[in-house]
Amino acid sequence: MDLLTKCTFVMACWAVTFITVAECSIYPSEMSGDSARKLPSAVVPVSQASTLGSFYSLSLSSTFPEDLGMNEYCIELLRIYRQRYVTYANCLVTYARPVKVCQNCYTGFNSLEDIYKNISSDQPGPGNVGCHDSLMRSDRLMLLYALFSKLDEIWTSAECKQCLTEDQEALSNDTVYFMATLNQSLACFEQYQRNHTELCKDCKASYKRLKELYGRMDKNQTLCIDLEDAMNITQQLWSKNFSCLLPREETVPVIAVSSFMLFLPIIFYLSSFLHSEQKKRKLIHPKRAKSNNSLMNIQDKFS
Amino acid sequence: MANISKKVSWSGRGDDRGERTPLLNGAEDGKYNRHDIVRSRLKEIPHNAKLLSLKYESLDYDNSENQLFLEEERRMSHMGFRCLETRRWVICGLIGFLTGLIACLIDIAVEKLAGYKYSAVKQNIEKFTEFGGLSISLILWAVLNSAFVMVGAIAVAFFEPIAAGSGIPQIKCYLNGVKIPRVVRLKTLAIKVFGVICSVAGGLAVGKEGPMIHSGAVVAAGVSQGRSTSLKKDFKIFEYFRRDTEKRDFVSAGAAAGVSAAFGAPVGGVLFSLEEGASFWNQMLTWRIFFASMISTFTLNFFLSIYHGKPGELSSPGLINFGRFDSDSVQYNLYEIPLFIIMGALGGVLGALFNVINYWLTIFRIRYIHRPCLQVMEAMLVAAVTATISFAMIYFSNDCQPLGQDNTEEYSLQLFCADGEYNSMATAFFNTPERSVRSLFHNPPGSYNPLTLGVFTLAYFVLAVWTYGLTVSAGVFIPSLLIGAAWGRLFGILLSTITSSQSIWADPGKYALIGAAAQLGGIVRMTLSLTVILVEATGSVTYGFPIMLVLMTAKIVGDYFIEGLYDVHIKLQSVPFLHWEAPPTSHWLTAREVMSSPVTCFNRVEKVGRIVDVLSNTSTNHNGFPVVAHTTENDEPGKICGLILRSQLIVLLKHKVFVERASSRLSHRKLQLKDFRDAYPRFPPIQSIHVSQDERECMMDLTEFMNPTPYTVPQETSLPRVFKLFRALGLRHLVVVDNENRVVGLVTRKDLARYHLGKDGLEELHLAQT
Repeated sequence: MDLLTKCTFVMACWAVTFITVAECSIYPSEMSGDSARKLPSAVVPVSQASTLGSFYSLSLSSTFPEDLGMNEYCIELLRIYRQRYVTYANCLVTYARPVKVCQNCYTGFNSLEDIYKNISSDQPGPGNVGCHDSLMRSDRLMLLYALFSKLDEIWTSAECKQCLTEDQEALSNDTVYFMATLNQSLACFEQYQRNHTELCKDCKASYKRLKELYGRMDKNQTLCIDLEDAMNITQQLWSKNFSCLLPREETVPVIAVSSFMLFLPIIFYLSSFLHSEQKKRKLIHPKRAKSNNSLMNIQDKFS
Repeated sequence: MANISKKVSWSGRGDDRGERTPLLNGAEDGKYNRHDIVRSRLKEIPHNAKLLSLKYESLDYDNSENQLFLEEERRMSHMGFRCLETRRWVICGLIGFLTGLIACLIDIAVEKLAGYKYSAVKQNIEKFTEFGGLSISLILWAVLNSAFVMVGAIAVAFFEPIAAGSGIPQIKCYLNGVKIPRVVRLKTLAIKVFGVICSVAGGLAVGKEGPMIHSGAVVAAGVSQGRSTSLKKDFKIFEYFRRDTEKRDFVSAGAAAGVSAAFGAPVGGVLFSLEEGASFWNQMLTWRIFFASMISTFTLNFFLSIYHGKPGELSSPGLINFGRFDSDSVQYNLYEIPLFIIMGALGGVLGALFNVINYWLTIFRIRYIHRPCLQVMEAMLVAAVTATISFAMIYFSNDCQPLGQDNTEEYSLQLFCADGEYNSMATAFFNTPERSVRSLFHNPPGSYNPLTLGVFTLAYFVLAVWTYGLTVSAGVFIPSLLIGAAWGRLFGILLSTITSSQSIWADPGKYALIGAAAQLGGIVRMTLSLTVILVEATGSVTYGFPIMLVLMTAKIVGDYFIEGLYDVHIKLQSVPFLHWEAPPTSHWLTAREVMSSPVTCFNRVEKVGRIVDVLSNTSTNHNGFPVVAHTTENDEPGKICGLILRSQLIVLLKHKVFVERASSRLSHRKLQLKDFRDAYPRFPPIQSIHVSQDERECMMDLTEFMNPTPYTVPQETSLPRVFKLFRALGLRHLVVVDNENRVVGLVTRKDLARYHLGKDGLEELHLAQT
């Protein structure tokens, strides 16, 4: 069941991208000059295109014959990949500090993932051409793969999925609620900016609520880097900037109990030293021949 | 020769200093000696290390080739011997499997119990940090600790005292050929496993690795016999292996399997058996032992992987997991080797200090704290104080560190630290020792500040010294590693601050590893096997060379002060332990001086009454009796023609194999070797065998049952020669004969073990009743 929905989802994505690509090919104005120049090949049959391509390339020393290089469709995919990659990377860097990547870049990630899936799937495009081999695996650098996998790794380690809804299209309810709670605390901090002792007292309730919520979400695994970072900053504000630390008030009772405990063994050992009777060993004299070296001695002993 | 002396005074330690007379003496001195001894025969002295206890006996490693044995061998086909060999392999596999299972059980139980305890205390502390009342948390912690330890200590002290301690000294003695009473019984195993779970969960400064070796040995002894006398259950299998020779071989396999399960070090286990015990070693036995070790670590690995929910992912080969040292972050440079050697020397000194303090403490314990209820109380007090010291350290520590990325600290305490930080003293104290070792090895630089480490080392050293030797079953490996890792890491941190270059010095985890090796080597003084165990446990062969150097240095330095901890405890238990070699400068001693004489002999055909009388004499308690051709009335020694053991005589008496009944016995079946095996290993005491007045007059023919070719030596044989025979052949009795083959004396283990090299040359140990 689950697999089926996944399949349909992928198919849908693929269909969407295909339509986009098709649209692209209809409006050449959107295209870069390089692909525009090769546009005709997309409309002629593949077999002819190859001969045509080789003919064209003779005049352009820097390009290769089409069947060795790329076809139009793949180049188009590559272009879209570039655009989306740049958008997404731009978003990541923009929201790097303080970290807000999950909240702001999920659309970028989704679209990048789509195009990547599209490229890497072996579904042939128009004219029966799959771009997976030509784009991804033609050289040892495998740049498209390396670039995407790095970004994907970042996305995974940020655990953004845990803050988003199932389909990654929006922030989850938990996240929104946490943000609201966080804002309450921050507002309270703002209010008592001047007087730290009062801040520690009056904001304690909201801060504690925030901490409990955070703990709960930690257990449910609904945290992502955004929330963790926000919480970290808040904690630092609370403990370091406002120095709302717990006082060490109980030194005397702790010392008293400890020294009582440490005193017990001394009493124990002293009393067992004084009252317990010492264990004695009975010595036994073994039978030995006298060191004088004749049998006479042994007989002597028993005569 | 002049500096060799013998103690003549039998009173305590104090006044034997001045009174020494030469050991090699003329008749005059001998007379004086005897007089002196007679005068003080019933003297009692406080327990000390220079005694040999009467309660320990030798194992019979030497095979008695009597007629029954020859008959059985004749009956057995070629196929039968093949089957025996296969059965040996099956038994080794079973030993490995069961040992692995036990290790798995201990691991899971400790993890669960310690988990409950620490989370309860943690919740309590968190609650009281905010509202006040932390002294209540302290009391809660202490009470929980004491409760766990009390249960464990009661089990050990009241039900099976031999299960106390790590068990390695006992197994060492067993492999050396000493029969320690009750050491390989099923009951001991049960108490040992239960006790170790309690003491580790009780937060004592102990590890669960040492007891694994003992457990493996018990499993081996039990499985190879195919029955349990404790449960009174006989599976009627493996009957051929019911004798000391075979059992001892299997016990060495069990010990190896134990080491292998404890550290995930199969090769180390095999080498441990080689180094610590088995003097009887051949290539097939080694291969079988290795098989048992491998099976054991695999079993543990497999079942732990199921427990952790990833069946088939074999990633935890041992109880202790040192974690992986990544090969690029841990490299060492040539110029670091002198530093490692210095650390080795430091480990040797600290180890010797550990042993000396523990030696005096143990003497005190044997002398004054010998009642079980006192022992339980002591263990509880130690547990409470351990909790108290840990709590105080954590409470007063100001060392706060940010939480790690992957939350390696399972029970991190915040206490008075800022939010998002934890108390770094708590990572060391508020944790099971194994976890603490791992975090000392692997936490990134800067996780601990030097003051924390220094205080921790000191506190833990005191606690570990105090704890070892309590009446709980627990090992010393992990506490030693922990102490060493703490000061090693401190050493590394100090180095990097001195040189102030962020180069190769910067990784303190490396120094923690070397420090741990040095400290452990300084305490237990194992060499080859420990090197291999550490290399296998850390999984980095790169460190083989430095670890070897460090262990060598630690041993050399430590041996200058005192012996290893296990040897100290063997001595304190008054075990007649035979080392590899006779003491040097003992060639002038001959068998005549060493032997016991006169010898109680039996005639080839002996009166039952005399046999019963000799066996029931409690004051002598001999075990082997030379059989002579015939003794004349005036005690002239007869010519030797065989040797018979107490156990054999008892079986004979029980089955009433008397000459007079020979005719009636024909209807019965003939006595077979099987009857002797069935009685093994707990032969009934002589008191339980009823012999009527009529039967006392009967005669018994020993010819068929005695060992017709016992080893003999002439009187002039030197002590080292006798010693070599004993050690290499695993003898129990060695008959000393004159030039006409007449029995003049008998050398046993205790006669040899009493010589040892003291401060003023060769010294003799006293025999004592314990």
